[in-house]
Amino acid sequence: MSEDGKMVTATIDNIEVNVPEGTTILNAAKSVGIKIPTLCHHDDLKPKGLCRICVVEIEGYRNLQTSCTLPLSEGMVINTNSHQVRRARRDLVDLELSNHTGTCYTCNRSRNCTLRELADECGVTEFRFGEKQKADHEIEDSGLFIVRDMNKCIQCRNCERACKELQAVGAYGIKDRSNKIKIAAFADKELEETVCINCGQCITHCPTGALSVKDETEKVWDAIENPKKHVVIQTAPAPRSAIGECFGNDPGEEAMTFQLATALRRCGFDKVFDTTFTADLTIIEEATELLIRLKKALVDKDESIALPQFTSCSPGWIKYLEHFKPEMIPNVSSAKSPQQMFGAVIKTYYAQKNNINPDDIVSVALMPCVAKKFECSRPEMTDSGYKDVDIVLTTEEAAQMIKEAGMDLRKVPKSEYDAPFGASTGSGVIFGATGGVMEAALRTAIELITGLKAEDLFEHANITPVRGFEGSRIAEVTIDKVGAVPEILKAHFNDWEWLKGATLKVGVAHGTANANKVLADIEAGGPFSECHFIEFMGCPGGCLAGGGMPRPVNMDVREARAKILYDEDMHYEYRKSHENPEVAHLYQEFFTEGPCSHKAHDLLHTHYTARGVIID
Amino acid sequence: MYIPNHDDINKFLSEAEQQHAMERKSIIPLLQATQRKYGFVPEYAMQKIGVMLGISSAEVYGVATFYSFIEVEPKGKYHIALSIDMPSKMAGVDDVAKRLEKDLGIKMGETTYDLMFSLEWTGCVGISDMSPAMIINEKIFPSITPEKASEIVKKLRHGEPVETEIPQSFTNDLSFDQVEKNSGLKNALELSPEEVRNLVKDSGLRGHGGAGFPTGMKWDFCANAEGDKKYVVCNADEGEPGCFKDMLIFSRFADKVIEGMTVAGYAVGADEGILYLRWEYAFMKEKLEEILEEKRAANMLGNKICGKDDFNFDIRLYFGAGAYVCGEETALIESIEGHRGEPRNKPPFPVTDGLFGKPTNVNNVETFAWVPCILAKGSEWYNSAGTENSKGYKLFSISGDCNKPGVFELAWGMSLNDIVELVDAKDPKAIQIGGYSGQLVPKKDFDRVLSYEDLATGGSVIIFDKSRNLYDIAENYLEFFIEESCGQCTPCRWGNTALLNHVEKMRQGKATRKETKDIETLSETMVLTSKCGLGQTSPNIVKNLMNDFADQL
Ligand SMILES: Cc1cc2nc3c(=O)[nH]c(=O)nc-3n(C[C@H](O)[C@H](O)[C@H](O)COP(=O)(O)O)c2cc1C
Ligand code: SF4
Ligand code: FES
Repeated sequence: MSEDGKMVTATIDNIEVNVPEGTTILNAAKSVGIKIPTLCHHDDLKPKGLCRICVVEIEGYRNLQTSCTLPLSEGMVINTNSHQVRRARRDLVDLELSNHTGTCYTCNRSRNCTLRELADECGVTEFRFGEKQKADHEIEDSGLFIVRDMNKCIQCRNCERACKELQAVGAYGIKDRSNKIKIAAFADKELEETVCINCGQCITHCPTGALSVKDETEKVWDAIENPKKHVVIQTAPAPRSAIGECFGNDPGEEAMTFQLATALRRCGFDKVFDTTFTADLTIIEEATELLIRLKKALVDKDESIALPQFTSCSPGWIKYLEHFKPEMIPNVSSAKSPQQMFGAVIKTYYAQKNNINPDDIVSVALMPCVAKKFECSRPEMTDSGYKDVDIVLTTEEAAQMIKEAGMDLRKVPKSEYDAPFGASTGSGVIFGATGGVMEAALRTAIELITGLKAEDLFEHANITPVRGFEGSRIAEVTIDKVGAVPEILKAHFNDWEWLKGATLKVGVAHGTANANKVLADIEAGGPFSECHFIEFMGCPGGCLAGGGMPRPVNMDVREARAKILYDEDMHYEYRKSHENPEVAHLYQEFFTEGPCSHKAHDLLHTHYTARGVIID
Repeated sequence: MYIPNHDDINKFLSEAEQQHAMERKSIIPLLQATQRKYGFVPEYAMQKIGVMLGISSAEVYGVATFYSFIEVEPKGKYHIALSIDMPSKMAGVDDVAKRLEKDLGIKMGETTYDLMFSLEWTGCVGISDMSPAMIINEKIFPSITPEKASEIVKKLRHGEPVETEIPQSFTNDLSFDQVEKNSGLKNALELSPEEVRNLVKDSGLRGHGGAGFPTGMKWDFCANAEGDKKYVVCNADEGEPGCFKDMLIFSRFADKVIEGMTVAGYAVGADEGILYLRWEYAFMKEKLEEILEEKRAANMLGNKICGKDDFNFDIRLYFGAGAYVCGEETALIESIEGHRGEPRNKPPFPVTDGLFGKPTNVNNVETFAWVPCILAKGSEWYNSAGTENSKGYKLFSISGDCNKPGVFELAWGMSLNDIVELVDAKDPKAIQIGGYSGQLVPKKDFDRVLSYEDLATGGSVIIFDKSRNLYDIAENYLEFFIEESCGQCTPCRWGNTALLNHVEKMRQGKATRKETKDIETLSETMVLTSKCGLGQTSPNIVKNLMNDFADQL
């Protein structure tokens, strides 16, 4: 869009529009309430003009023009629904259908497939250009997480573009040309054999049922139905903000936090826990680790200490770093993600306390994420002596189970999560949004170091500089005054004098393309290299738009979900991780030597693998 | 199966690293170099190239698989490609294919067990007047017969050398012969850039690549576009079946093309020229490099050309890798940048947003070749010939059922009846004007005239006599478009297949009236919505059949 704020005026369907120069015809039409159908267009991605569904007629132009690519210019007279346009659209949808195999009833997108909606909207009532009976492509489902049915692919390349533009991964390419064209990983391999980070952004950006998450619900049902098994589920914060969408809610309509607890229990889980518990635990471990690093670097002048410290809770981000910048692995916090901490605690502390054989526990995690499935299957995630987390369900999978059990989540009564891991804090909840981990960490760090209340520095303890959807952000907090070292940290620190007057600089990045820019900036000695702590989230927007979240996802949806999480945060009795009474209890009873102690390291911390980009 | 080991590939690529800029634009040259070395591009090499250029391996793979002359699996040491265009078909290429299949014991598309030979179809190789043509690695063999092909394969198998000469098309007298080397450029440098553009405008010269856009006007757009850097690109992708006049120009008047590009560089304010040649013309590389060197030595290229202080201009060669669609100017630009040759959305046009986002003037080989002639002989010499809207002369490549195929320089305005006489065609039933994407004209309309007003063409004329079957023709065209579509946009990716299915149904007499109507609408939709000229014109043949040949079906 032009910088000088120039406006252009034109008419669309006889309505005058006046928009900033550079606005596409599609968006200009939207601004006056005219909807032009699209298929390959996605607000997150650069327009490509592939499907041609969005064509419009413009006076003086010989051919129809794609409204998603062409900027409006002064004086244009545009018709979005002329006879030519309608006929062309119908032909185009019909052409796509002539090469699309698969029945709508059994499709994972039967509820919200763009192609199916278009067939309806454009009046396609028969297959005029043939109906493909035989599937050309074998369904690619031998991988662990992402299922690809290329018979349903309509070549919009959203997956390939999301992987490249949003994630800077480039696991997908376009193979061959013409009608043989296929979206394929390098050398047409399974995604697992590539640099794929399992973030699942390809899935959430797919307009049809071509991409989906490998369904593991049957495994969970089997466990539930096995009387010998004690089946517990932890639920991450993000799913509650969106699972209602699977039942017909609008994005942002209502948090499903407590309905979810009831519904999962009714599905047959023996215990329903809240992952915010280990989110809080993560904050304590990670913040302690950061303070230890800072002290070594600032006081002991140990130059081997890697700073800034990077967060470790997003497994998509972790695999990204392992492939693309393995030399920066030392910067990553060794703290496990909340999911994996939970897994380790359940099969040790919880099992002992309740006298359950860990072997009989099936530990399930409800996550917004596809990469979490990969994370729980990493060979190092067995510190409890067992597979710490057995099965990860995505939000959509959990919704499926609830539906199969005959419930409409929106109508289920509310109930609390189960002790001893049911108490949540607001900090744990906002983990689901980009910047949330950093905000939680800052609230805790401020209070533990200064002895003040976070509210004294930020209104309502809302640390707004780290919030929002800008690709990367930096915030600073100056420590004017220090307090006494709290009990829990006394093993590591005698006083905070060394921090007095220091300015704590933190950064936030979400989507691995933004992460990549931040890493480059650090290498180049830019502003991010001066940060002490940086939060990285693999998915754009953070977990609330993770690869396992309800589809579709776009900027409006992200904002609506974020609002739910931030509203929830305001309603909690405890807003800060270190206030979580159950976390305090865990340190008193189990990790008695405190955070980052030997035992904590055994169970709550991990290490990473340098992978690189050349894969044999 | 021979797969080179990693050390070997590392060594090879680190040498290649010295010869190429480590930027994305080097990807196709690197893939070609790797293929020349190993016969194909091994997986490890693709990954390495990705790392070297900072792009993902999946993307390297995407580029490699787009182009038909880049192989990602081991292929025969001798890669035999037979031209599948209509003139080759009419001249018996199917018999050559059968003979080779029998001799080699493999089918088209396969590779022999010992990795000695691969057999493949390819689009028109650019010598339709000497059909059928065969390419082995980078050598072209004209007028091939089953016996000759068999002989060549036998020699190769025994390690004996096979020679072929650069094919020379028959031509009439050509104006290019009458213009002294560099005289056009010298004249141009006496004028201001604007005066040069005005002179070209006055001449009425229009693009010879097919679309016929007024050349002087295009130069004006490019000259007036804002940009710290501008490019001149010569489109020598010549992939239109039945078109071989650009090849002829290169074989005899390459210096004129280079001179024309240099004039264009002066006229639009560019300092870099790129000559994009289709891969099939790789055999001309050395000769062209020599001519460029000569020009540099004579100060006709390089810095301060002809002593003109502020005029620097040089030209480099760039080879495509087998994709007809790369002749489309924005696809060509994508290809030079190191991408899959997928056309861009237009507008914006290359004159403002071209190569690497800079203003870029793309012209056809022949367009450039006429420029020095016009500058030497004056704009009136050119605009006094031709018709009202089609000034001057043009080269026509004429092939098919006639006794005197070749390249002919003619003034615009000849009728098809004149052409029939000129090349001595017996019993013609239809003439294809403008290549497969042009018009198939039935005999009753042979009084129609070659001109932008009536039958526009980039220069390809294919004559069909009455023994030819219209369905064979239509199916061959559509198969070509299906093979050559870049596939990015829906109407073309699937539309051509739908058209072909329908033509097959028509042949069997099974097409219902309703289906025919639906296909008519679809053809219209393809014209209206396809992203580039390929999908906008591929339905022409179907429309032609239905409208102009209904009585003969
Ligand atoms: C599918 C397709 C293939 C084309 N192939 C060629 C070609 O081989 N050579 C060429 O000069 N122009 C080709 N063109 C036309 C170019 O896009 C462009 O118009 C031309 O190079 C401009 O040069 P001119 O103005 O000198 O004709 C092709 C266009 C399309 C749509
Ligand atoms: S019309 Fe065909 S060749 Fe042109 S962009 Fe579309 S798919 Fe590619
Ligand atoms: S939505 Fe505009 S071309 Fe696909």
